[in-house]
Amino acid sequence: MKHLTRLLSTGLAVCSLLTVFSFNAQAATLDNVKSRGAIRCGVSENLPGFARANSLGEYTGFTVDLCRAVASALFNDIEAVEMIPLSSTERFKALQAGQVDILARVTTWTLERNALFGDFAGINFYDGQGFMVTRRSGYQSALELDNQPVCVTSNTTSELNAADFFSVSDMRYKPIYFDDEAKAAEGYIAGDCKAFTTDRSGLAAQRSNFKEPDAHFIVPEVISKEPLGPLVPPNDSEWTNIVRWSLNCMINAEELGITSANVDNETIGATPAIRRLIGLEGDTGIQLGLDPQWCARLIRQVGNYGESYERHIGPDTPIGLPRGINALWTEGGMIYAPPVR
Amino acid sequence: MNQVTHTLIPALLAFIALSANSYSAQAATLDEVKSRGAIRCGVNVDLAGFARANALGEYVGFDVDLCRAVASALFNDSEAVDMIPVNSIERFEAVQAGRVDVLSRNTTWTLERNVLFGDFAGISFYDGQGFMVSRSSGYRSALELDNQPICVASNTTSELNAADFFSVSDMRYRPIYYDDDSETIEGYRNGDCKAYTTDLSGLAAQRSDFENPGDHFILPEVISKEPLGPLVAPNDSEWANVVRWSLNCMINAEELGVTSQNVDNEDIGTTPGIRRLIGTEGDTGTHLGLDPQWCTRIIRQVGNYAEIFERNIGPDTPIGLPRGINSLRADGGLIYAPPIR
Repeated sequence: MKHLTRLLSTGLAVCSLLTVFSFNAQAATLDNVKSRGAIRCGVSENLPGFARANSLGEYTGFTVDLCRAVASALFNDIEAVEMIPLSSTERFKALQAGQVDILARVTTWTLERNALFGDFAGINFYDGQGFMVTRRSGYQSALELDNQPVCVTSNTTSELNAADFFSVSDMRYKPIYFDDEAKAAEGYIAGDCKAFTTDRSGLAAQRSNFKEPDAHFIVPEVISKEPLGPLVPPNDSEWTNIVRWSLNCMINAEELGITSANVDNETIGATPAIRRLIGLEGDTGIQLGLDPQWCARLIRQVGNYGESYERHIGPDTPIGLPRGINALWTEGGMIYAPPVR
Repeated sequence: MNQVTHTLIPALLAFIALSANSYSAQAATLDEVKSRGAIRCGVNVDLAGFARANALGEYVGFDVDLCRAVASALFNDSEAVDMIPVNSIERFEAVQAGRVDVLSRNTTWTLERNVLFGDFAGISFYDGQGFMVSRSSGYRSALELDNQPICVASNTTSELNAADFFSVSDMRYRPIYYDDDSETIEGYRNGDCKAYTTDLSGLAAQRSDFENPGDHFILPEVISKEPLGPLVAPNDSEWANVVRWSLNCMINAEELGVTSQNVDNEDIGTTPGIRRLIGTEGDTGTHLGLDPQWCTRIIRQVGNYAEIFERNIGPDTPIGLPRGINSLRADGGLIYAPPIR
């Protein structure tokens, strides 16, 4: 009898443990983040304009701003982010192991990554792969690179795209592999290769680091479609929505003309769409598990999509990327967000 | 002793039942669908071009084709779909109660729906709201509708957008509510209202049913942003991916020039991009829990994005919608899919 009672209580204890465990494993990122008081964000180790530590050790950049936007929505504090620098090889393992809540690190949305590693919460930069050569080399086109050594980062879509491009163009492919983009750029500068290939945003970013940026030339060919976006763990819609709608808040703010400079103007709430965006109308904050001011705060502290772009990678920065395809859909680009309502 | 055993066994049985139940509630749609041998697809009760039963009782239309695409990918049988007509009020309940596996029913992606009802697996149609009036009314602008009765379906974004538009335009809003698009249009035709408002796609679809479509006029104002897409239950990335990548397969096929007519040509696989799409290279089928031919089957049996657009709602159909904003990016529109790789 005693034995059975013990068996019974052990059985029930195991049951409750199992129940708790399976609940946690399912969908508790938002709860974990809230109780931790900070989000853990996987970022590039050192990519000018996108993610780089300044002299104080603080990370800044276009992809870093998305982490700060989520922190602002959740904690009213853009500093409530642990930045976790990851190489391109480490990044997916870190997400799978639960070491980061968001991977905000110039990552192309592909079927394989979507199926194996998690959900992309949107597209924040439409990119495409290109090649950089030295002006001195005289190369004017990627089609002149037959059997020339090409510096490329391993475990990236760049590696696969380059192989495709050389194969389709009937050229011999001679890749030289590196663990990360910055190392591949170093290899290129050190003369290991005749060309360096990665997404064109990355080429522009790396070039801004060179001693003589003007001595390098990005050839005209764009050899792939690379939609970059934040990646979160699978099967956690609640958390995905926080990240997705933080990005969508920034895009909708640009579309509606709301900036960090005017979001607190008393007269700003002129239309219902703006009033919903800044929380004077509707319940979007409550629905997300936040408060009505979530998006207003984000705009105040981080800025809208256009502000973040111009500050880190736009034409007036050393990166110097025109908006181009990353203009709003109303201005001929592809940047679009479903409505905050 | 006997009594304890009696207690123990039911307790354990109850626990096992609970565990099984919470598992299926969590993330087993793909398994359920596979063992059922058919997907259950929530579609519009009757919307010309998007979802409508033909003389044989078979549903056809643009939204219906997405369901058929998923069925092709899963079962090599575009008929392996239970079409479940749902009105605009029933539709979200049907997703929540698990009565449908996909809601493919001209549904706008909004924050509220995303958070409360599930995940949107993509945007299949970029729409916007407008107004239709009879030509005899003489109205030439929606700004002339002050205090005029407006036919609108309840529980739709149309209802909210119209309220916004009238409020911003300093006009009195006089809505007349109906349960569904088809009832709303009947009200308009019976003369209950001076104007009928819904998404432009819906206005064009409904007008195609009129005896004299030319007697009705769609006013120039586009008063909202309405991205339409398929909705699936939350916290089930595996299933969301099957639906998402079925849509992305059709979009990528159009971009790569692969159609139902040429997908079986022996010489179609000329580029790695096409070979991955049709499964002669890469593992995308395995990643999705399907086989390598999943996307080929969709293209063969249902067609690429352009084919389903032209067949159901394009300029040569009674609906007569131009591709416009729903062209591929390469042609100046917003239709875009991450790469299949």
